[in-house]
Amino acid sequence: MAVIGVGRFIQQRQDFEDSIARSYQVEMVARERIARGTGGEPARAIVRQQGQRRAELRDEISSDTRDTALLVAAGLLAGLTGALLLFSGLISSMRRPLEELVAAAGKLASGDRSARVEVGGLAETATLGAAFNEMAEELELEESRREELDRLKDEFVLTASHELRSPLTSVQGFAELLMLERESLTPRQAETVEVILDNCRHLVRLLNDLLDLARSDAGRLAIRPRPTEVAPLIADVVRTMRAQTEADGQALSEQVPPGLLPIEVEPDRVRQILVNLITNAHEYSPEGASIQVAVQAIGAQVEIAVSDDGPGIPPDQLGRIFERFTRGDAGLTQRVGGTGLGLAISKSLVEVHGGSIDAESTVGEGSTFRVRLPIAAAPAAGDGQADPSRTTAEAS
Amino acid sequence: MATILVADDSETILLLMRTRLEMAGHTVATAADGQEVLDHIANGVAPDMLLLDAMMPRKSGIDALREIRGAGNEVPALIVSAHQNPGDADAPTDLAIAAYVTKPIDFDRLLETVTQLTS
Repeated sequence: MAVIGVGRFIQQRQDFEDSIARSYQVEMVARERIARGTGGEPARAIVRQQGQRRAELRDEISSDTRDTALLVAAGLLAGLTGALLLFSGLISSMRRPLEELVAAAGKLASGDRSARVEVGGLAETATLGAAFNEMAEELELEESRREELDRLKDEFVLTASHELRSPLTSVQGFAELLMLERESLTPRQAETVEVILDNCRHLVRLLNDLLDLARSDAGRLAIRPRPTEVAPLIADVVRTMRAQTEADGQALSEQVPPGLLPIEVEPDRVRQILVNLITNAHEYSPEGASIQVAVQAIGAQVEIAVSDDGPGIPPDQLGRIFERFTRGDAGLTQRVGGTGLGLAISKSLVEVHGGSIDAESTVGEGSTFRVRLPIAAAPAAGDGQADPSRTTAEAS
Repeated sequence: MATILVADDSETILLLMRTRLEMAGHTVATAADGQEVLDHIANGVAPDMLLLDAMMPRKSGIDALREIRGAGNEVPALIVSAHQNPGDADAPTDLAIAAYVTKPIDFDRLLETVTQLTS
């Protein structure tokens, strides 16, 4: 097979056209001589010769054309195969580093800040790997700085709370002392002392809430759960809260069915949760509202529901109600003295007990907060006294 | 009524405690730290109850109580703690602490506890 390049093929084609044209010219000259009667037999031979020559030329050129087409096709095929081989080589040399990168990114995202990749292979993937490692390094550093800051914040809150408590004890204690001799105070003096006491209580609440949140954030919100009877706990909380609700003409009632199994909780913490919920119901509801604490057993849990027939919580606020510093619209009442932390803390506290809390509300009809806490397991042999303490870190 | 030995490093808190306890009819001896508590007892003060601040300079209420218990004295003791929830402070379980009192002090509850422990 004649192997020729495309350039040569074009040149040949040109030569072929020229040869055909020349052959026709020669034939025409011969035919003129025949027509004039001067050519004779030699001229007729030329005509035959030229016809034959053109046929040969055409055969030759068509075979060359076929060869060239084949050649071009073969060239294309070879080129494609080469490109394919090159690509698959490229892809396989990129694939491994990329797969490694994806795996490392996954680890990094799931919290393993020590995830790194091996830098190597193609220049591009190597650069990518180096950039990834740099980013991971930065993240790891950032995290350790944040942990340090968290620890400092924690320490600060604990120390501040501790240091503030002693002077607060004195202020509140002496104000109470004055109130013990109320009859010897003028009405204006008594009112002044009441204001001092109100503000002391608010400060104490704020301190306690901040402390709880700091502990909760640090995973150190410790509880010591023990089997606890529900009815006396509820009765105690309701009795404590009744002074406040009655002052506003609100009815606070409890509904506790008999025969409830004890729950596995730290009583003081559950008291704190219920006081938070009842205080909210009290402060956000108008005078004369009714607040109900209803208890029922649901499976392995006891549900304590605190309901009010107050103004309710709009749906857009209800979703954020357990976030810290979220406070309902206090437009209806000026008595709202909370810290905006109560529900966030209640949620942390419920969760560290292995329970759950949710809120339900209809604007204009009232709100219900439901706390579910685990029923205590029947006392096993050995009384389960081993290590009853639990923290947020373990519970989450 | 009972004799109560109260220790706190804050004079105002001591004054407050003394006033409230005396108003309830108790006799009060005070100490500024744990060492003074031990000194009082060594000097023959025999309280019916101890009310000790957990954190004091020189010697803490806990350390003083540890020595008192070490000497075989089982006098009822309350520990006053600035921690809101003493359960998660390093609360020793071997010192027969009758109760923890948190600051700010709920005096109604404290007086009730004192009555229970000393009657």
